[in-house]
Amino acid sequence: MPSSEPTWQARLADELVEAGVEVATWVPDKRLAPIGIRLAERGVPLRTLTREDECFGYAAGHRAAGGTPLVMIQCSGLGNSINAIGSLVIPYGLGFPVVISMRGTLGERNPAQMPLGRTTVAMLEALGVQSFPLSRPDAVAPVVRGALAVADGARVLAPILLDAELELT
Amino acid sequence: MNPTEIVRAVLRAAPGALVVSSLGTATSALRAASEDGPHLYMGGSMGTALAAAIGVAEKRPERQVVALLGDGETLMGAGSLWSLAGIAPQNLLAIVLVDGHYTITGDQPLGVPAVFGDVAAALGLATAAAGTPEEVEAHVGSLARPALLEVRYDERSWPGPSPFVDAPVVRWRFERAARGVG
Repeated sequence: MPSSEPTWQARLADELVEAGVEVATWVPDKRLAPIGIRLAERGVPLRTLTREDECFGYAAGHRAAGGTPLVMIQCSGLGNSINAIGSLVIPYGLGFPVVISMRGTLGERNPAQMPLGRTTVAMLEALGVQSFPLSRPDAVAPVVRGALAVADGARVLAPILLDAELELT
Repeated sequence: MNPTEIVRAVLRAAPGALVVSSLGTATSALRAASEDGPHLYMGGSMGTALAAAIGVAEKRPERQVVALLGDGETLMGAGSLWSLAGIAPQNLLAIVLVDGHYTITGDQPLGVPAVFGDVAAALGLATAAAGTPEEVEAHVGSLARPALLEVRYDERSWPGPSPFVDAPVVRWRFERAARGVG
């Protein structure tokens, strides 16, 4: 019998909605897709853009206009986004949550994913951005609530890293 | 016609608009033409100004929004033309200032066809081309949104104000203007 318990992706989306996320921008990813579907079901527009730095540009504009946007990307897309983060999001003081699907880590079988997976946290730290790993389904609520508090209150980028362990457990 | 004259014509036709300007000439010209109005001036992040303007337009659907873009900027963020057509905000006009050069880095030529209006038309966007301030003003006033207005100019003098803006001040002033309290 299939369980009627919501998946961790659905609960993550629900927490984002409860925390006030108004719009989500993303570049498609298999692990992020159920989050996007749930966000759309909850009435949050899901904008599929052409590159990850475009997602950061969109979210920067939305936030600068007083909104609460969300960015969802695969960690390889962080590499595409470094300049948008470094010369727009950070200097302008634009805080919003980012859900990053981690590739190139435990369980990865694609060699091309390994270098960016290995450097994701280091790249963020080099930019002065603190990230918040999510490794267990039962940590969804505190991590999302905490990250949204950081984005909204402390006005800095708040990346939530979806660790591979979420699906390996 | 020079960039500041172009932007003055834009602001005459869309006086209450929230404007997002790309780094370099567009930001300097907007600062000059608006006397440092509370707009979202980009000091870097080349290629993201149109995406940012789409975000502004979606947050503030009741306001007119203008993306003021250099030609090199538009190339670097070309994917956002597709997003403009796909999302199709009904309150957003993209204006490309076309002089065929990367001005702020020392006037290097673009090296590719400057056919922004043609690309936008192929994407189904409303488009127009302008070569005088009068044409700019008329098209900004009459084009359906979303649209792309291509403005060609040959007087390539630097508009004056620094394009290196004080980012937190820009953001604070812009958010107030977007909320209607500025």
